[in-house]
Amino acid sequence: MYRLALNMLFGDRAKLAMLLCGLAFSALLMAQQSSVFFGIMSWTYTPMVNIRAQVWVSDPMVEQVNDAKPLRDTDLGRVRSVDGVAWAAPLHTSFVQARMQDGNFKLITLVGIDADTFAGAPAVLTQGRIEDHRLPDTVIVDEWGASLMGRMGVGPDGKPRSTPLKVGDTFEINDIQARIVGICKVKRAFTGGPFVYTTYDRAKGYTLGARRTLSFMLVEPQKGVTPAELCGRIERDTGLKAWTSDTVIWNWGERSLARNTFWWFWTNTGIPFSFGTAVLLGLFVGIAISGQTFYSFVLENLKYFAAIKAMGAGMGVIARMLFVQAFTAGLIGFGLGAGMAQAIGRAMIEKGMPPFVMFPQILWATFALVLGISFVSAIIGIIKVSRVDAASVFRG
Amino acid sequence: MSHEAHSIAVRASGVDMFFGTPDNQVVALKQADFEARRGELIMLVGPSGCGKTTLLSVIAGTLTPQAGTVEVFGQRLDGLGQEELTAFRRKNLGFVFQSFNLIPTLSVIENVMVPLLIQGRPYDEARARSLSIIDKVGLKGREDGRPNALSGGQQQRVAIARALVHEPPLLICDEPTSALDKDTGAHIMQLVRDLSRSPERCVVVVTHDHRIFRFADRIAEMEDGRISRVVDDPKLLDTTHL
Repeated sequence: MYRLALNMLFGDRAKLAMLLCGLAFSALLMAQQSSVFFGIMSWTYTPMVNIRAQVWVSDPMVEQVNDAKPLRDTDLGRVRSVDGVAWAAPLHTSFVQARMQDGNFKLITLVGIDADTFAGAPAVLTQGRIEDHRLPDTVIVDEWGASLMGRMGVGPDGKPRSTPLKVGDTFEINDIQARIVGICKVKRAFTGGPFVYTTYDRAKGYTLGARRTLSFMLVEPQKGVTPAELCGRIERDTGLKAWTSDTVIWNWGERSLARNTFWWFWTNTGIPFSFGTAVLLGLFVGIAISGQTFYSFVLENLKYFAAIKAMGAGMGVIARMLFVQAFTAGLIGFGLGAGMAQAIGRAMIEKGMPPFVMFPQILWATFALVLGISFVSAIIGIIKVSRVDAASVFRG
Repeated sequence: MSHEAHSIAVRASGVDMFFGTPDNQVVALKQADFEARRGELIMLVGPSGCGKTTLLSVIAGTLTPQAGTVEVFGQRLDGLGQEELTAFRRKNLGFVFQSFNLIPTLSVIENVMVPLLIQGRPYDEARARSLSIIDKVGLKGREDGRPNALSGGQQQRVAIARALVHEPPLLICDEPTSALDKDTGAHIMQLVRDLSRSPERCVVVVTHDHRIFRFADRIAEMEDGRISRVVDDPKLLDTTHL
C-alpha cells in the first residue's frame, strides 16, 4: 500500500509542488538563518581563533574576549612564576582611530604582540615578512582591513573605487606613523573593523601612554600540564582569571573564553532573539503551508480513503499511508531547502559576508523540525480520515 | 443444518436503524428482514429514502444496527467490533460504487490492486492477478492509463475488476448503472452477472434503474424501512414509483 500511497502523492503534481515549496522554504529559512546566526556568533570570539595560545590570562572581572580590563605589567612576572608555565607573553588589544592618507578615519582593533617571541602573531602572511615587524613604526594589517582602509580613487569606468592598502603604505594612529610591512590573513571580527598588529611596546606608544596596556597574557603550559590544570594553578597563585582557548563550539571546556564570549553575546544582545524569531517563523510557515496543503490533499482524497476503509483497510494502514506521504514530502522538501541554504551559503562565503557556518548539527536539527512539520501535517490528515464513516461511500 | 440454511448467504432479521437525536429521529430501517442466497444476484429496489442504502451498509458491516441480527456467510456481524468488521470486509466483500470511487492519481491497474494490497498480498502477485481480471473486463492495454482517461462505462468496468480481484463471496453494488446510459448500463450488468456468477457467491445490487431488473434472480422491494415483498419476475413489480 505504501507504493500506492506514494503514487497518490506524486500523481497530484500541483499539490505536491505546493507541499514541497512550503517544506523547502521552511527548511531553507531554518537552516540558512541558523547558519548565519552561528556564523555571526563565531565572529564574537574571533581573537581566540586569530591569536593562538593555549591559555589566556585576564583580569578576574573579564567576561568576554572583546572586553579587556587592563592588567599591571608586573602581573606578567607573577604568571611566569607559576609552576607549570613554559612561557607567558603580553598581549594588548584596544579599539583606536586610525587616520588614512586621504584624511578619512577608521576604527581599528590594535593588537600588540610580544616582539621577542611573536606570540600571538598572525599565522598566515599574504604579503611581507614577520621579521620586518621589528622595524620602527611598522604594522601588519589584515586583508579585509587593507581593503576597508584602502585609498579611494576613480576606476577606469569613472566610478569611485577603493584600492586596498599594500606593503609600504602608511597611515597614522594617534598622529604616530604606522608603516605596513605585512598583510595577513585572519578571521574577521564581530566589530567588522580592521586588525592592525604591532609590537606590544609600540602599541603602548600608539595608545598615548595609557597607564595600563596589558589586556591579556598568552601562556603556554609545560609538557605534561594540561591547559585546564594550568588555569587552576594560575588562578590559585595569582588571583587572576585564566582561560582555555578551545574554540570548537561543540567541544567547549568549562574554562573556555570563547564559550563565555558566545554566551555573553547570547544573553546580552538581541541577536539570538532576532534569529530565533526567523527560525520560528520558518517553522510556523512550514507548518501552516504544508499542514494546510496536506490537509487539502487529504480532503480531496477523502472519499477514496473512505472507499479504502470500506474495502477493509484499517486506520493503522491508512495512518501509515499518510505518514509515508507526509514524510516523503518532508524528506524531499528538506533536501531542496537544505540544498538551497548551502548554495546561498557558498555564495555568501565567496562574497565574504555575512558569515555562514552550517554545522552538521544545524542540518540534523532542521531535518528533525521538517519531519516534525510532516508529522503534524500527517496527524491532521489522520484525524480527518479517522472521522470519515466508511458507510459514506454509499451516499453517492 | 438444513439445505436451505446452508444456502443462505445473507440474513438480516428484525433490523432497526435510526439516525439523528432522540428529539429529531429519522427511522431508516424498522424491523427489516432480508435474505440473500448463495449463487444468486438479488436486487434491492424501492423509492428514495426507503432505506436501501442503509440496509446495504448494514449488510456490508459499515453500519452497526441498533437492533436485530445480521449474518453473512454464517458470521454474525452485529456483535463484532470495528477491527473485526474491517477484517471481515477485507476478506469477504467486494464493492462497486455509484460514483466508481477510482483513485484518479493511480493507474487503472493500481486501482484494481488495492483490495489485494490491503490483504497484504505481495505487489507482484497483486499486479499479475489484476492484469488477468482487467483482461476479463475487456480493458487489456489500458492498465497503465489513468481512470479519468476512460469513459464512464470503462471506469465502471475497472470498478468491477477491483471488486472481484480478491474473489470475495459477497459482491455489493450500489447503484452501479445510475451514472451510465441505457446500453452501457446493460453491458455493465451483463458483465457483473457473467463475472460474478458462482455457486458460492452472492451479489446484492441496490438500484433505481428498472431497465436492469431483468438481470436479477430475485428482486426485494423496500418501503418505509422494511422489505415489503420479494419477487422472482420483475414484471410483477410496479415500477412507476421507483
